Amino acid sequence: MRQIVKHRQCQADAWSMPGEAAAAAGVVVSLADYLAVQAGTLASPAPAGAALGVQLEPADDEAQLLPFAAQLQLVVVNFPKSAEGRGYTQGRMLRERYGYCGELRAAGAVLLDQVFLLARCGFDAFDMAPSENLTLAATELDRFSVAYQTVVGTVVQPHRRGQVG
Amino acid sequence: MYRYDTLDHTLVAERVAQFRDQTQRFLAGQLSEDEFKPLRLRNGLYIQTHAPMLRVAVPYGLLSTRQVRMLAHLARKYDRGYGHFTTRQNIQYNWPKLEEVPDMLADLATVEMHAIQTSGNCIRNTTADHFAGIAPDEIDDPRPYCEIIRQWSTLHPEFNYLPRKFKIAVTGSPADRAASQVHDIGLHLLRGPDGQIGFEVLVGGGLGRTPIIGKVIRDFLPREHLLSYLEAVLRVYNRAGRRDNIYKARIKILVKAMGEEAFRAAVEQEWALIRDTALLLDVVEIDRMRKYFRPLPYEKLPDIDVTAGREAAFVAWYRHNTRVHKVSGYRAVMVSLKTPGIAPGDMTAEQMDGLADLADLISSGEVRSTHDQNLVLGDVRQQDLYETWQRLTALGLATANIGTLADMICCPGLDFCSLANASSISIAHQITERFSDIDYLYDLGPLEIKMSGCMNACGHHHVGHIGILGVDKHGEEWYQITIGGSASGDSSLGEVIGPSVAKLEVANTLAALLDVYVSIREEDETFLQVVRRVGVTPFRERVYAPNR
Repeated sequence: MRQIVKHRQCQADAWSMPGEAAAAAGVVVSLADYLAVQAGTLASPAPAGAALGVQLEPADDEAQLLPFAAQLQLVVVNFPKSAEGRGYTQGRMLRERYGYCGELRAAGAVLLDQVFLLARCGFDAFDMAPSENLTLAATELDRFSVAYQTVVGTVVQPHRRGQVG
Repeated sequence: MYRYDTLDHTLVAERVAQFRDQTQRFLAGQLSEDEFKPLRLRNGLYIQTHAPMLRVAVPYGLLSTRQVRMLAHLARKYDRGYGHFTTRQNIQYNWPKLEEVPDMLADLATVEMHAIQTSGNCIRNTTADHFAGIAPDEIDDPRPYCEIIRQWSTLHPEFNYLPRKFKIAVTGSPADRAASQVHDIGLHLLRGPDGQIGFEVLVGGGLGRTPIIGKVIRDFLPREHLLSYLEAVLRVYNRAGRRDNIYKARIKILVKAMGEEAFRAAVEQEWALIRDTALLLDVVEIDRMRKYFRPLPYEKLPDIDVTAGREAAFVAWYRHNTRVHKVSGYRAVMVSLKTPGIAPGDMTAEQMDGLADLADLISSGEVRSTHDQNLVLGDVRQQDLYETWQRLTALGLATANIGTLADMICCPGLDFCSLANASSISIAHQITERFSDIDYLYDLGPLEIKMSGCMNACGHHHVGHIGILGVDKHGEEWYQITIGGSASGDSSLGEVIGPSVAKLEVANTLAALLDVYVSIREEDETFLQVVRRVGVTPFRERVYAPNR
């Protein structure tokens, strides 16, 4: 079973990804399929009682998930290459602009040295590249104790420090 | 200048620890060359022709003398006794050992310096006018805003994996001394309709393979919206910029592809959603930042004639290497790093220490680096200029050639850089040897020669009055010449005069261009003005004349 880092813990993943046999707990489909299921033009591939999640590719517009933000339990953001940067914006927008509160997972070519910034963009789960050590990845979430930017509920912003201090 | 508080110190210390860990993992074989590359680049570490090269950030070109002494220490302890100032106002070390780089960064952290984001596809060091705070024509000091941008852009979680590198320049004067029109974003401080301070915003300027002058996408941005507007531009770029071809990945290509209007509309739409969020800068915060850059307690001094009765060498230096200061009785002193025979921008550890001592003794305890690879002592009393000249002369830093042909911008070229097609330092030497008569250079007047060893354009050749670009032709080094470029307020891109010339012909070609200029100039016309008046043709005809 696939191991991921979720909520700072290494754990087995209960979901199935696109192209995998449907898992009992939940099934992740592409954005196009997810929207089609919601529109009633496609039968849900999820077994009865299983949840339906969605996987975003870099060019997908996460704004299309706005009507479903409250009901979604898992959004996977795919990083086909480690240099891919669009997912950082997709994650931040889902959290900050569309009020998404479910699991936000970075998947694909996700490296140890990227999880800190990804977490700052709202990601709370990581399906890492095969080369990466998950235990070390979990500790990377504490790499920095401070930051300059106010994003997704972290630390004080520098230009507020004048008032605070 | 800005001083770190606990947050800054903590962040830089944690960044050093992170890079030490990354380096150890690479040396232990846990990270491959390919995996380590983006990590080291984000900390300014390149693997060059001979050795690693470490690029250290000099935020908006401002250094304390304590920092200059640390740069000297690094040059001595980890390098071969010198450093190289770049066109981004940064300093590079060409010979460090990879395993010692974490120690260099730890040393830098003790003087509030780092190498964060001096390379890689992220927001680079923000540059500014090197006369910030002392220029008589200044509307507002750009440095507080640069520091606000520095902090906002440092380890920005959303914008660390951009399609390509991203450079921002800020100027506070109508005269553009920061080449802001050839930056991804250029910010010009100005006063709005009601007298409030804000920015004109340019986007999509740049050099490289596709040189473009930036487009104004907002005539006036009130200063409190600085960060939200930058964030809107970056978000549009991060989403829509091309990632399939690194030569098409800069924001200038996106602006061109979308069209100026559509790009502006996309930015404005995004900005409307975030302009009144936590990114809004309040007056308290802006004033807090401005306090770090307060004017010195200047003495009340009259302007004096410092050249009367002095030797010609001092008079020439005064004329060419000092600049007007906004406070009477003071001058800004240009420290020339363009000594003939030395690579432009290079400085030895002894020179750095000597200059630091001089800046403490005679100026404000600060040194500024310029985008044309010189240094500045910002606040020298006119009565101290003669002594300053004597001391700079002793340090080999008083060559009276600022603004002349000899004040060339030059990238490291083939001698150091693994990207280069041709050498540039040897061409600089060829030119300084050929044009060694300083009186001839003075007669030629202001003349900017800018030289790059490849089309990445680190030497800004497109915006040189004379630009020189090294190209590889069947394994030989050839040079393409452009004329008529400028990076000042009236920016323009140079025009190619014709087929590239052989390595040994570069100085001869320049001589032919300058002969044409001297023969057709009217009164005080500069080289650039003549090119703009008559066009390229007379120059081309002379250079490529069959009997030349």
